[in-house]
Parts: sequence; C-alpha cells; structure tokens
Amino acid sequence: MKLKKYLSFTRIGMMESLQFRLATVVIVIGNLLYLTIVFFLWKAIYASSGTDVVNGMTFSDTLIYLVLATALFNFMEMYTVWEMGRSIQSGKIVLDLLKPMDYRKLLFWSYSGSFVMNFFTTFLPTFIIVGIVTGGAIPLKLNLLYFVVSVVLAIMINYSIDFIVGTICLFTESIWGINIMKQVIVLLLSGATIPIAFFPEPMKTIVLYMPFQSIYNAPLTLLLDGSPDMEDVLMILGTQLFWCVTMTVISKLFWKASLRQITVNGG
Amino acid sequence: MKRKGFGFYLRIYIKILTQDLKSKMSYRADFIISTIGMIFTNIAGFVSFWILFRNFPSINGWSYHEMLFLYGFSLISLTPVQCFFDNNWSLRINVYNGDFIKYCFRPINLFFYYQSEVFDVKGLGQFAFGLGTLIYSWGKIGLDFTPLILLKMIVFLITASLIMIALQNAAAATCFWIQNSFYVMDLVFKFKDYARYPITIFTPVFRFVFTFIMPIAFIAYYPSLVILRPDDVPILSWLSPLIGCAFFWLSYKFWMFGASRYNGTGS
Repeated sequence: MKLKKYLSFTRIGMMESLQFRLATVVIVIGNLLYLTIVFFLWKAIYASSGTDVVNGMTFSDTLIYLVLATALFNFMEMYTVWEMGRSIQSGKIVLDLLKPMDYRKLLFWSYSGSFVMNFFTTFLPTFIIVGIVTGGAIPLKLNLLYFVVSVVLAIMINYSIDFIVGTICLFTESIWGINIMKQVIVLLLSGATIPIAFFPEPMKTIVLYMPFQSIYNAPLTLLLDGSPDMEDVLMILGTQLFWCVTMTVISKLFWKASLRQITVNGG
Repeated sequence: MKRKGFGFYLRIYIKILTQDLKSKMSYRADFIISTIGMIFTNIAGFVSFWILFRNFPSINGWSYHEMLFLYGFSLISLTPVQCFFDNNWSLRINVYNGDFIKYCFRPINLFFYYQSEVFDVKGLGQFAFGLGTLIYSWGKIGLDFTPLILLKMIVFLITASLIMIALQNAAAATCFWIQNSFYVMDLVFKFKDYARYPITIFTPVFRFVFTFIMPIAFIAYYPSLVILRPDDVPILSWLSPLIGCAFFWLSYKFWMFGASRYNGTGS
C-alpha cells in the first residue's frame, strides 16, 4: 500500500510535464544541436590524430559516450537544488515538512513522473538516433540489462548528491552559485564532458576513486562493451552500489542534522 | 527632448545601479559563492581544453594556444551580456506574475529601464579569467601588439558582445508569446559553449547554418580571426560589426514589440 502513495506522485508529475509540450520540443532541438556540434568536433579531432583508436575508444564509441551522457543528464536532472533552494527562500518548505512523509522521498517521487516522461521524449529518441548515426555501433546484448541496472543506481547517486548540495542551501541561502559549482564538478569529473579514458594518468586514477564517475562513466562503459568480463561488470556495479549506499546515508544524516537548525523566513 | 539625452540616461543608470549593488551587498555570502561558481565554470572549460590537447596536438589545424585564444575571446565578449542584461532571465517571471506592468508606467525607455535594474557582478570574474587566458595565449602564439591591433580588438570584442546580447534579448522576449521561455533561453545560453570552436570543423551546410541561421560563429570565431589570422580574414569578419549592430537593433525591436503586446495579468 505504501507504494501506491508514492505512485500517485508519479502520475501527477507525468500530467504536469505533459503541460509543457513546447519545452520538450525546445529540449529536443537543443539536444540535436549538441549532437551536431559533438559529432563534428570529435570527427575533426579523430581526423587530426591520424589513428582510428585513441585511448581504446573509436570515434563511434566517443560519440555514443558523449551524446548519451548528455541524454542521461537531461533525463536525470531534477533541479533538486533549485527546488530546495527556492522552497527554503520562500518558506514553502515548511508546508512540505508538515506532510506525513519524509521530505527526501517526497521530493524524489514528485519528480519520478518527469523521469518517465523524459525517458520517452528525450532519452529514447536520442538513443535511437545515435544508434542509427553510428551505424549500429551500440551492442544490443546482455549489456543493455547491465546498463539499465547501472542507470537506476546512477539516478540514486545523483539524487543523493543533489540532496546534499540542496541541504547546503539551508545554510548559505545562495542557490545559483552552489548549483553551478555542483553542476560543473559533476559534469567534468563524471566524464560527461570528455570521456574519462582521455584523462591524463594521475587525474584519471583520482577521478575513478570519486563518486561522480558512477553517474555517467559507469553506465556508459557497461553499455559500450558488447562482451564484457563478468568480473568487470560486478566491479563496476559493486562500486556504484557502494557509492549509492554511502551517499544515501550521508545525505540522510546531513539532512537530519541540518533540519534542527533551520530558520524559515515567513511562508 | 533634451531631458532625455545620453547624459540623462547615464545619470539614471548610475543611480539605479548603486541601489542594486547596495541590495546585493546585503547578501554577501551569496555574492562570494556566485563569483566562485562562475570562476569554477571557466576553469572547467580551461581544463577540458587542456585534457583534449594532452591527447591531440592540434585539431583541424588549430593549435592549443589558438583554441585558448578563441576561448578567452568568447569569455570576454560574453561579459556584457552577463553583467548588463542579466535581468532578461527574470523577464518570464515578471511577465507571468504581473510585475512587468510596473516598468510600463515609467516615462523612460522601457527596455533601458528594465535592463538597468540588475547589474550582475559575477560577470567581472569571468572577464578577469577571459582576459588572463587571452593575454597568456597572445604571448604564446607571438602575435603583434600595436595600438591599431588593440583598437581592432576592442571593436571586434564589442561586435561579438552585441551578437550574444541580441540572441539573449530575442530569446527572453519569446516569453511574451509562450509562457515558459526558460528552455529557449537555456538553449541560447548554451550557444556560448559552442562558440569556442572554430567553424571550419563543420561541413559547408552546417557552416551556413551556424553563420546565418543560428549565428553562433559570430560570438567568437569570425571577430577573432581579424586578430588571430590577420593574413587571411574572410569578408564576414569585416562585416561582423555591421551584422552585430543590425542584430542588436532587430532584437531590441522584437523585445519592444513583445512588450507592447503585454497587457498585464490583472493582479
């Protein structure tokens, strides 16, 4: 019965995002534009390099990796930091805290509707287009299953990071600055801007020990490998699971500790 | 008519600006965090170039330092739009909740009054970073430095700025027709990230698109060629000051036309 309560939030979220059809069109145009730029930029890069494989990645690999990273970003971006920051500034957060539901869950489930919609309107079309443009370079085997599992874990890690950053807003009352910092760090260190395989050595090792690579690098690595070793798959998913648990615990504890000293102006 | 000359507007602008800065200073933490966030974004752009050129010596005949020059150039040319026209981001909210009506009743130019209300200080951090990058790459490439080149530089930086301002004005003004113009603005805002790549990486069709339909190439590429490759300047580079002025004028007319259609929300 508990799930029914949450699923009603999903339904409302889906209805809400159907209201903004134009926004979807603009996002799709934006994605196509990005796809074009990335395509030509990396084509030029690979043409200048003289070899077909750089750091173990072919041109199609890089293209799939980067474009799907952006698609994943659009799909996973929940504007949690904005939502929390604004509720804190306006005082609306008090109303949400009074509800007989954990705030962390409330926020997540009220976005889950957009997840479903975004999956069909932006992620799936991008996935299909990239598959066609690269001439079927995405292996369609068991790796799709690993990818799905990995994305679910990535969503949870991403949400926990967002929630931690959103909680910081309780103290700073700055939204834009905090959010942009988070976004820049996550996008660069997760490999969404440049695949992690291209990072120079000491940096690469450090980045692989951070939680951010579990958001984009992990699912995309799993997707691109058509016949992976079981060991590698378990290693990647295990790392993700580790970060998922760690970040969830940290975000819960941090929120609990911060809630005690919250000051809300009006409401 | 004399009352509304340039001096009149300048005096008003300074008065409004001081008030805005005073109110910003009361949120000092937000100001500092936003500035750091801005610098973070710029450093991330720098780092991604650095990583890219660790793997590839040149891209399409463009060296690391030439690309940095383009990057620095684009950062500086984006400063005016960030500093002076940031209120465009609030336009849709003002229009939506009815606050926009207050601007319509002032006996001064509506566009001027609206834009004058906000001065975004964090743009100055971007300016400093851009200038540093530009000077560094200038020295590394070994370009000449004469008063004439400096003059050219300033003229073409202003040109580039005008294009970006025009694009943002037009994007913001769409909110007079559609409700949620955030996505349109976000799309145009991303143009700045694409502006840092030389247009020669594209095929002729897309070169045409990015020159005439979505004039991304004018934000940095065409204007900077005058300094960067003075022996081989295409006609479009020389024309860009004219195009910049024309674009700005058109976007102003479009903005004002949208504003004239505004008839309040009745609240």
